[in-house]
Amino acid sequence: MALVSAAPYLALLSEQDSSLKAYALNSLNDVVDQLWAEIANNITDLEELYEDQSFEKRALAALIISKVYYNLGDFDASVRYSLFAGDEFNIEEQSQYIETIVSQCINLYSSLSQKKYVDSSVEIDPRLSGIFERMLEKCIKTNELKLAIGISLESYRLDIVKHVLEQQIKVNEENALNLINYVLVCTNTVISNTTFRSEVLNSLVSLLLSLSKSQDFFTIFKIVVQLNDSKLGSTIFKELIKKNEELIAYQGAFDLVSTASQELLDTTISELTSDSSIDVSEPVTKRLLSILSGVPTCDLDITFLYKNNNTDITILNKTKNLLESRSSVFHSAVTFANAFMHAGTTDDSFFRKNLEWLGRATNWSKFSATAALGVIHKGNLSQGRNILKPYLPGSSGAAHSKGGSLFALGLIYAGHGREIIEYLKLFIDEHGNSAGSSETEIILHGAALGAGVAGMASGSESLFEALKVVLYSDSAVSGQAAGLAMGLVMLGSGNESAINDMFTYAQETQHENIIRGLAIGIALLNYGREEKADYVIEKLMKQENPILRYGGAFTIALAYAGTGNNGAIKKLLHYAVSDPSDDVRRASVLSLGFLLIRSYTAAPQIVQLLSQSHNPHVRYGTAMALGISCAGRSLPAAIEVLEPLTKDPVDFVRQGALMASAMILIQQNETAYPKVQEFTKQYADTIKNKHEDALAKFGATLAQGIIDAGGRNVSINLEHAQTNTLNIKAIVGLTVFAQSWYWFPLAHFLSLSFTPTSIIGVRSDLKAPQFELNCHAKPELFQYPPKVEEAKEKQPDKLATAVLSTTKKAKSRAKQKQNKKDKMDIDEEKPEPAKEAEKEKEKEKEVSVKEESKENKNEPAVIRYTKTPYKIGNMTRVLPAQSNYIAFSKDDRYVPVRKFRGTGGVVVLEDTKPEEKAETIRTVRQLNATEAPVPEPFTLSEEDLQEDD
Amino acid sequence: MKDVADTSDNLSQTETLVKEIEQSFTLLAKAAHNFDNRYISKVFRDLGPLRRKLNKNSEVLPILINKIFPQDYTNKQYLLEAINATESQPSESLDNEALETSLLPEVQLYVHLLVQVYLLDHNELSRLDTLNGHIVYLLKSFNRRSLDFIQGKIWFYISRTKELLNDLYSIRPELLASLRTATLRHDTETTAFIITLLLRNYLLSHDVTQALNLVEKTEFPEQAGNGLVARYYYYLARIHAIQLDYSSANECVIAAIRKAPQTQLATGFIQSATKLSILIELLMGDIPELKVFKKQPGNFEPYFYVTKAVKLGDLKLFGEVLKKYEEFFKRDDNFTLVSRLRQNVIKTGIRIISLSYSKISLKDICIKLHLDSEELTEYIVSKAIRDGVIEASINHQKGFMQSKELLDVYSTKLPQSEFDQRIKFCLSLHNDSVKSMRYPSDNDTKPETEKNLDKEDEMDLLKAIEEGDLDDFMD
Repeated sequence: MALVSAAPYLALLSEQDSSLKAYALNSLNDVVDQLWAEIANNITDLEELYEDQSFEKRALAALIISKVYYNLGDFDASVRYSLFAGDEFNIEEQSQYIETIVSQCINLYSSLSQKKYVDSSVEIDPRLSGIFERMLEKCIKTNELKLAIGISLESYRLDIVKHVLEQQIKVNEENALNLINYVLVCTNTVISNTTFRSEVLNSLVSLLLSLSKSQDFFTIFKIVVQLNDSKLGSTIFKELIKKNEELIAYQGAFDLVSTASQELLDTTISELTSDSSIDVSEPVTKRLLSILSGVPTCDLDITFLYKNNNTDITILNKTKNLLESRSSVFHSAVTFANAFMHAGTTDDSFFRKNLEWLGRATNWSKFSATAALGVIHKGNLSQGRNILKPYLPGSSGAAHSKGGSLFALGLIYAGHGREIIEYLKLFIDEHGNSAGSSETEIILHGAALGAGVAGMASGSESLFEALKVVLYSDSAVSGQAAGLAMGLVMLGSGNESAINDMFTYAQETQHENIIRGLAIGIALLNYGREEKADYVIEKLMKQENPILRYGGAFTIALAYAGTGNNGAIKKLLHYAVSDPSDDVRRASVLSLGFLLIRSYTAAPQIVQLLSQSHNPHVRYGTAMALGISCAGRSLPAAIEVLEPLTKDPVDFVRQGALMASAMILIQQNETAYPKVQEFTKQYADTIKNKHEDALAKFGATLAQGIIDAGGRNVSINLEHAQTNTLNIKAIVGLTVFAQSWYWFPLAHFLSLSFTPTSIIGVRSDLKAPQFELNCHAKPELFQYPPKVEEAKEKQPDKLATAVLSTTKKAKSRAKQKQNKKDKMDIDEEKPEPAKEAEKEKEKEKEVSVKEESKENKNEPAVIRYTKTPYKIGNMTRVLPAQSNYIAFSKDDRYVPVRKFRGTGGVVVLEDTKPEEKAETIRTVRQLNATEAPVPEPFTLSEEDLQEDD
Repeated sequence: MKDVADTSDNLSQTETLVKEIEQSFTLLAKAAHNFDNRYISKVFRDLGPLRRKLNKNSEVLPILINKIFPQDYTNKQYLLEAINATESQPSESLDNEALETSLLPEVQLYVHLLVQVYLLDHNELSRLDTLNGHIVYLLKSFNRRSLDFIQGKIWFYISRTKELLNDLYSIRPELLASLRTATLRHDTETTAFIITLLLRNYLLSHDVTQALNLVEKTEFPEQAGNGLVARYYYYLARIHAIQLDYSSANECVIAAIRKAPQTQLATGFIQSATKLSILIELLMGDIPELKVFKKQPGNFEPYFYVTKAVKLGDLKLFGEVLKKYEEFFKRDDNFTLVSRLRQNVIKTGIRIISLSYSKISLKDICIKLHLDSEELTEYIVSKAIRDGVIEASINHQKGFMQSKELLDVYSTKLPQSEFDQRIKFCLSLHNDSVKSMRYPSDNDTKPETEKNLDKEDEMDLLKAIEEGDLDDFMD
């Protein structure tokens, strides 16, 4: 029978004799779980007993106190006393109490340990770490290695992680490699402290190098990119060359090119060339260096885009005809749509076929139009300069087209700027001081933007200084571009003196444009700096000038891009609802998108309430935030939030929502995502509608360009699937694209975010052979969307006037009913019945096509693995969702060097039968090199076009 | 002829009952899959009628158990043993999907609960007790939030069994252990259940200090169902009343009556709470209104007479009433409280006297109140003055009591504080009702028909929650 009261024992506690007390404690320990409520009344007595140094059973007293506190629900106190209890506290015991307290101990330990890492004055109770280590040992003993590693990573105990991994390497290398990859993923997702992260990465590299059998160089390359450590990169390359593993080296180099910054590549190259132990003239080294220069990747990409160009020109033509070309807004819109649709395809036929239309471009729309050539020829390194020659300074063109051409030049060589940076810099140096005159000002604007794009993240001091000269001439037009370009050049460097210079000048100057340029520049400088950028953010956010606070919001976005950092999100949400300036609020909401790149599925939920804000700027920000975070992911939840915004009463909100929807739905076809059709139709309808506002039409036109971008062969990928690193170029592209709110020509920056979606297999001689891949899925899921039929539009709608209002009403009523049945919510009702009939016909067609998808329209189709694959060729479009279903045939001639894990990009192949003759795909560069010497600009493309037809 | 009809009727009835129970399984499965405990409340809403039907029909449970549990399942054996049935080969073996449903912990526990209820209704206490042993073991093996509601209920019946067996102590360690588990898992429903069960247990064994200790050291979950909250407040009121803290006891008992469901099922609870409330009010020196006695059904006669005695300040009458209804009070477990009223009778008497006489000799008081001696009267009067029952002074030399002038209440702060109290009450009531509102989530994006369906579902669930688990009050 259970004891009813603990009073007798409690009374014993006040006895003098210590043996009596000890007896009382022992008895209390037995009944504490039942009578804790009573014992709690006397907790002070027990505490006194524990404080009594001479009492030998004080540990037991501590244990009882701990149990009482545990029952009272005060876990902190319970943990404290359980530590005092020493050996009386037996962690091996199987009870809920021990379980709870130990888990509390571990929590406490990790939070203390994290604090200690930053501030060494924090002291941790050795008993606490004792419990922690004992638990870890227990984990390791039971082979729960991932658990042990995870907990120690969270507590910043690198020594334990290392120890576990080293042990595992001795036992089982395969398993160890898995664990290392697990740690790698954890470091990216869990650890928020950047210094600790690099420490972990560094130790991982040494561990990887110590592996004897299953060395995984690709993992090392991943770490190289994350650490941005060129020395490590070059040593790995040297080792690979020494070991004659040139194929692995090539693949690694291709990976680096696709994920690393230009600065890292440059320094790696210079380190390799300056090393005397390596013979640069050797073919392998030569080839490696050439890969690292990025030229082959660029060449392969552009070849892919050029060969597979599948632009639906009728969409563009229709839009062009509908929009009044004399309005510069519409003219720019069509220019951008054209640029996006043909980005990287080198197909500029639209301009040449519409020369008259092109001629209507004036001033800055001319600038945009010329710059569009840069987007279209993006990556065409061999031809770029020739194509732009007629417009470059020195020609007889207008200032705007000269400026535009310089910007275009930068876009063509984006990320591969070595060849033209000098040229642009020379121009800036020469004219930097004479920025006052209106002509030079415009050209300098283009030159600065061009230099910024081409020299992005190069960290070139000299270029930075040259741009500073332009800035200090205090011209609104060129200064704005210079500020932006300074940020681009020093991207992510966090260079303090640069920040200071820019910040001081931003406070001095009178020109809002310059301040804005500088504010974004500062934001770019702090890309990925996380907590190191906090002081800059603080400084900017305290400014009275809203433009600087606007920059502050973007600084948060870029410094914490992709981290999903809670503190940063809180800050942004705070500014999003409380800042007095609309611009800052818009920027804050929009910035949320950048933070949530990795955890994009959470984005719709976070911004949903904001999407119902009374403030249109906040709503616009919501739309763009969704567009950014879910870009290229076709997330139904995001579309659900966006849909009402596309019908918003405010014009620019509609603009944002349309653009964002296109960014999310890019490359989708209606089989894979039925809703796409509705959206493309909405874009067309918005443009067609006479009463629609200009801004919304602008957005719809851009949306058309974005959704069919790059001849439908590109997507917006903000995260590299293979390395889990962020795609810096794409993020910067989106950031500056968001500035097109103020300055249309900046919209071209979106082209930086486009990445070709393909699998390109190359042999060791860097040539792409003809071969076939298997795709284990239904082909219709990944087809290009069908071309728009043109004939429909020409039908005259004479009947429009002859219909009675009653019939109209009846029809609309009937339609409404049908709509309800179909569970669709199409609100618009077109007055012309002729069109309506047409629509109905269309609808009937639709119904027959996708009856099954009707049930739930906003759901992407489920991709199923099919056993019988269909074949696709080398260098064809492979969507990100598709790449998981791609497989190399086992007995094929070409085998990938790295085990194929469903990631696109360049794949180096091993030729199992090198003696056989193979057909290769000729790249754009090769085509150019063999054909007529320096072809006339445009003629080449025209021929290509005919070939295409 | 008639017999045959009867049996066939019986048979079909059994079948429908089994079907009915099986239908509730789908709801339970839904609750398990959606993590939505509201479905379980819905099942419990039908438990009352089902219980009565099961009571009459002893064939249902064996059939059900044989049907849903696979052969040689350990649970099956002891369950069948408990209801004194034999295992039989099920006519049709279950397909996999159905088996999956029937082996869900939710369903298993629900079946256990049904057996428990059945045994309780048939007063098979010893069998029930052995079954309870198995059930406790089973409960410990699960850790699912969707079980919270069922678990709480099962504990209730376990505790009730022990109570009926008059074995109050052995269950305590189990209850305390599961209280800890439930709090650690943030299982508010079970926590609330077990706290009330423990309090009841302590009060039944008259361990009032232990009960008070428990109340002080634990936090009753705010989100607990209304029925449980009412019960908790009722016990709280008892504890406070016994601990002489009448004002808080009064607050608690009023809260208990207010929170109690106003349905047929809770009449018993409301009656005993009202009795307690009457006593506490009397102990506080107030006289309950007449309508309190008339409003409810039930026998309030003894309480009415006690009130009358107190109101008149008539000690003689009080003594008579106490004697006459002693048994009655003891049955209500209120005898101690009623005995305490003797002092109040005297006090009321003194108050009435002080109101009617501005000056009266102690001897007269002694005679009027039928007290033993003049000294005692002096003592009682001075105590009454000190307690603030009357505003008077005693002239010890001349042996009389002098009343002071009556104060105008409105010149004091009393009305203000009273008003403040009421405003606070209204505000908290408002806040509570705002908090308890449920907003439909993104209904606007859902198509029409689905929305309607949801609404119906929602209404059903809301109803279930409102009515709560009232049938417990029947025991």
